[in-house]
Amino acid sequence: MTGRSLGLLVCLECRATVREGTVAQARCPRCFARLHARKPHSLGVTALLLLGAAILYVPANVLPVMYTDTFFDAEKDTIMSGVLVLLHSGSWPIALLVFIASIVVPLLKIIALSVVVYSAWRRSPRRRRQRTELYRLVEFIGRWSMLDIYAISLLVTLVQIQSLASIVVGWGALAFGAVVVLTLLATRSFDERLLWDTAP
Amino acid sequence: MPSVIVCPACDLAHRRTAEPTKGRTRCARCRVLLQRPETASIDTAIAFAACALVLLVLSNVYPLVTLHANGSSREATLIGAAYGLYSQGYQPLAALVFLTTVMAPFAQIATLLYVLIPLRRNRRARGQNILFRLLTHARPWTFVEVFMLGALVAIVRLSAFARIEPGIALWSCVLLMLSLSALTSVTSPEQFWAWVERNRP
Repeated sequence: MTGRSLGLLVCLECRATVREGTVAQARCPRCFARLHARKPHSLGVTALLLLGAAILYVPANVLPVMYTDTFFDAEKDTIMSGVLVLLHSGSWPIALLVFIASIVVPLLKIIALSVVVYSAWRRSPRRRRQRTELYRLVEFIGRWSMLDIYAISLLVTLVQIQSLASIVVGWGALAFGAVVVLTLLATRSFDERLLWDTAP
Repeated sequence: MPSVIVCPACDLAHRRTAEPTKGRTRCARCRVLLQRPETASIDTAIAFAACALVLLVLSNVYPLVTLHANGSSREATLIGAAYGLYSQGYQPLAALVFLTTVMAPFAQIATLLYVLIPLRRNRRARGQNILFRLLTHARPWTFVEVFMLGALVAIVRLSAFARIEPGIALWSCVLLMLSLSALTSVTSPEQFWAWVERNRP
């Protein structure tokens, strides 16, 4: 038995259970949030946001996120070269952390959510539980890809001693920030229940 | 109380047996947390919120880190990190950093204080429902813990060629992160609505 077969709706904001059709305009009687059997246009919106994230993933990794100018030389840093700088400075745990948060996590989010959306669209009956776990993993780790944006914001703020060295933000950082926000929004617009819905 | 609990994550209907007082109940099919004891006191929540507010102010007033190089020094605060991006013409990024490290925590703390203090005296703050719903939307965008790790990365990168001194805000940020997660766990939507309904005559 499911909520749908019993004609029951769950308010996703306050978790109240509401009988379908008892409330005018489908608002939660407790918190007045709009009620929907499923998040509206969940698959379409999620797919669109993912597409945007996948497109921006390229400039996010190719364009420099940071330009460092010192007395001696000028350097461009992409996300990946930032990881290498950390690796060469001898702090491999931090390098690994940044590599996972900035390169693995965004890519994993895009691929995993695509798999989840596609299988929900096909109403695939296989491995529902595993796909749910995959979605929850994406939901859990999603925020950590903001790591590099914060590191860059501190670096540019601290290193502004014009005569000695300065760090300037590059367009790659903007693309990277957009990837992070788009994947976070995509995760939120997906309705997990679609993974469990059977054909009517 | 309705006799059925519908899983918000997979739509499976469960028969409600009793209110959990000790254990947690999980969905039989998708294992999502369905119920947990909502026994936190409203005073605890207000105390955590007040504590987080003080820590948030400290984190924005004092420097997170100070960089010393060649006789000059420069400091960065929590809000200063967002301003650094803004001053370089990256307003969208600055807005993102500001929203996730300053605005979202502040909105969360301020809303809770505004709603919970009257609720404690059995009153209803104006716009209580809509504000609490806004809060549940602001919550997932509070990234203080990610910011802390980002600060660590920045410190490691800079310590190769400059002397970095941790500031008061670095420590208050760690405490802010802890008090915000405590605050979130005692003010779940279920808990909040349990308080509201208990007040109803």
